[in-house]
Amino acid sequence: MIRSSRTWQAVAISAVAGLALTACGTTDTGGDGDAAGGDCNFKIGVMGALSGANASIVLPSVDGAELALKQWDNEDCDVTIEKFDTEGDPAKATPVATQIAGDDSFIGVIGGAFSGETRATKAIYGDAGVTMVSQSATATDLTQDDPSPVFHRLVPYDDYQGAAIAKYLTDELGATKVFVVDNSEAYGEPLADRVEETLGDKMAQRDKTQVGQTDFAPTISKMESAKPDAVFYGGYIAEAAPLLKQMRDAGIDAPFIGGDGLYGSDFGNAVGDAGEGAIVMCPCAPIEEDSTFAADYQEEFGSAPGAYAAEGFDAMSVFLAALDDGARTREDVEKFVDGYTGDGLSKEISFDENGDVPKEKVSYWAYKNEGGTLVPDVEVSPAS
Amino acid sequence: MDFDALINGLDRHTLDGITRGSIYALVALGYTMVYGVMKLINFAHSEVFMVGTWATLGTYTLIGASSGMGVGMIIGATVLALLAAMLASAGTALAVERIAYRPLRKKGAPPLIFLITGIGCSMVLVETFGQVLKVFFGPPFGRVLVNVPAVLPTKVVFTIPGIDLAITNTRIIIIFGAIAMMVALDFFVNKSRLGRGVRAVAQDPDTASLMGVNQDRVIMLVFVLGGAMAGVAALLFTIQYDSTKFDIGFIIGVKAFTAAVLGGIGNLRGALIGGLVLGVVEVYASTVWDSSWADVTAFVVLVLVLMFRPTGLLGESLGKARA
Repeated sequence: MIRSSRTWQAVAISAVAGLALTACGTTDTGGDGDAAGGDCNFKIGVMGALSGANASIVLPSVDGAELALKQWDNEDCDVTIEKFDTEGDPAKATPVATQIAGDDSFIGVIGGAFSGETRATKAIYGDAGVTMVSQSATATDLTQDDPSPVFHRLVPYDDYQGAAIAKYLTDELGATKVFVVDNSEAYGEPLADRVEETLGDKMAQRDKTQVGQTDFAPTISKMESAKPDAVFYGGYIAEAAPLLKQMRDAGIDAPFIGGDGLYGSDFGNAVGDAGEGAIVMCPCAPIEEDSTFAADYQEEFGSAPGAYAAEGFDAMSVFLAALDDGARTREDVEKFVDGYTGDGLSKEISFDENGDVPKEKVSYWAYKNEGGTLVPDVEVSPAS
Repeated sequence: MDFDALINGLDRHTLDGITRGSIYALVALGYTMVYGVMKLINFAHSEVFMVGTWATLGTYTLIGASSGMGVGMIIGATVLALLAAMLASAGTALAVERIAYRPLRKKGAPPLIFLITGIGCSMVLVETFGQVLKVFFGPPFGRVLVNVPAVLPTKVVFTIPGIDLAITNTRIIIIFGAIAMMVALDFFVNKSRLGRGVRAVAQDPDTASLMGVNQDRVIMLVFVLGGAMAGVAALLFTIQYDSTKFDIGFIIGVKAFTAAVLGGIGNLRGALIGGLVLGVVEVYASTVWDSSWADVTAFVVLVLVLMFRPTGLLGESLGKARA
């Protein structure tokens, strides 16, 4: 008995030691590139959900950033990209931000990919003067209610999205009786509120559901009596898929429209045949299949560029342009990014005083789900 | 608040609620039987259900079933999936009992240890499907919602004249399937020899073993039966909702446990009544307000019921045999 417990102790100790060693191993990487650098030897952090349920919305943008770095041509500088997996969880993002802020070799951060983690870490980066360029955090308050000098983003905020969706519903679909459903949480509810506000009397009825819900029979029966000519859902894939399936099962054929919470390769897989023709709105411009970016991306990562790949590429390009311009400190970088104008892959990039891309340069795209893939259908501008 | 919508479509909403509640009730049986015999809440039971949904998906994938097949193929695929789900769920439940609970029982561990072990087993199973299997086999395992082919297409079989209520094939299968399974289980526990053993151990384990009842066998039987019912629920769930996910068991598990307590935990017929009442209350609340009120209303009803009947609607009584 004693023997066996000793053995276990030995196993446990060596396991812990092994873990500690590997942990050291990972933190050491990135600092070993002094060869070409000189005074320009920096790291750029990427922070987002690299694993978990929502990773398909984030990973392509990280690949895009990596591609931009790879294609960068600057002999004087040695820049490495370091990825931090937050699983999209604000609690996991905070220690990451502290680590990046405390390490002077980081001159910028791409992210946060989601709004929650961005909200949680903005102040930490702000205090340390680390410039953030987000590829996909869209919550309105990040720049409107509580702007931070270091925060910039390449996507428009959710208020615009609500307006763009309402515009698509009325102008493109000619809908006059829209049924609006949301998931009662921080992303879906304000988005649906905004859609409702813009639709005005063209909304037939509003209903709320819950995250984690699988049975939507009560919502379906409300739809049956409202007889809508379009259905909008503000929420994520895990609930949108069963809702849409149950709608189609019940014989409700009205077009189904979702926001960028459904934009990701997992939507088509989750919804199956019932999702044919469903519309997903996204502030992400489609990447032309025959563009050099698409070809390079395909060659590098073996797949077509996915969600926010172009925005990830652009975020990295902004930082690299700063280094090309001679920026060597966090302050230099911040100053450069604030004044940056340039032609990005996703849009013409510049930032206003809150860190947003200007309204007139924003466009939304309606993607149609065809055979499980989201195919760009029509561009909608919320500005007019 | 929209009471008109509830009153006008009362028949329809009741039917929706019974459909939802049937699945709760079937899963609730597993909680109630284990509690009745061992006075233990088996928190891993929600994952026993989850494994069943994956077994259904696996069967459809293996035999290449998809929507739009002939009637013979549909029946064949569904029966195969039913067997696979029952087998997988019962196997999982049995494995949890043999690997996790039995060693604890042999050492006379206090009840708290069983609870935390159940939670641990539940996490292991969830992460197996959410993470481990994904590492080895890739999709469809992982943390995303997975589409299960709608092998059995939803069709309106008949319409009840007068009230214009359309009855679909899937509803008939779910409601009658669930009730038939429960009647069979009730019959088994109350009439068969093995069932008498179950009731004996539930009433008084020590005396039962003095009378020659093998307690371990009875406990295994209880886990297998509860697991098989969860497997049936899993098949019915995939027929109705055409999807699964690594953590799909969590909410169903909470609801089923609630149903078991509402009906009187330890009581088989209570699980049925509790499940149906819970389903109907949720759908009524979702209709009058919206779905975000479903849980609030359901738990208010639970608290009210327990205030007046602290042991649930039918009382705790697997052991107190009335047969």
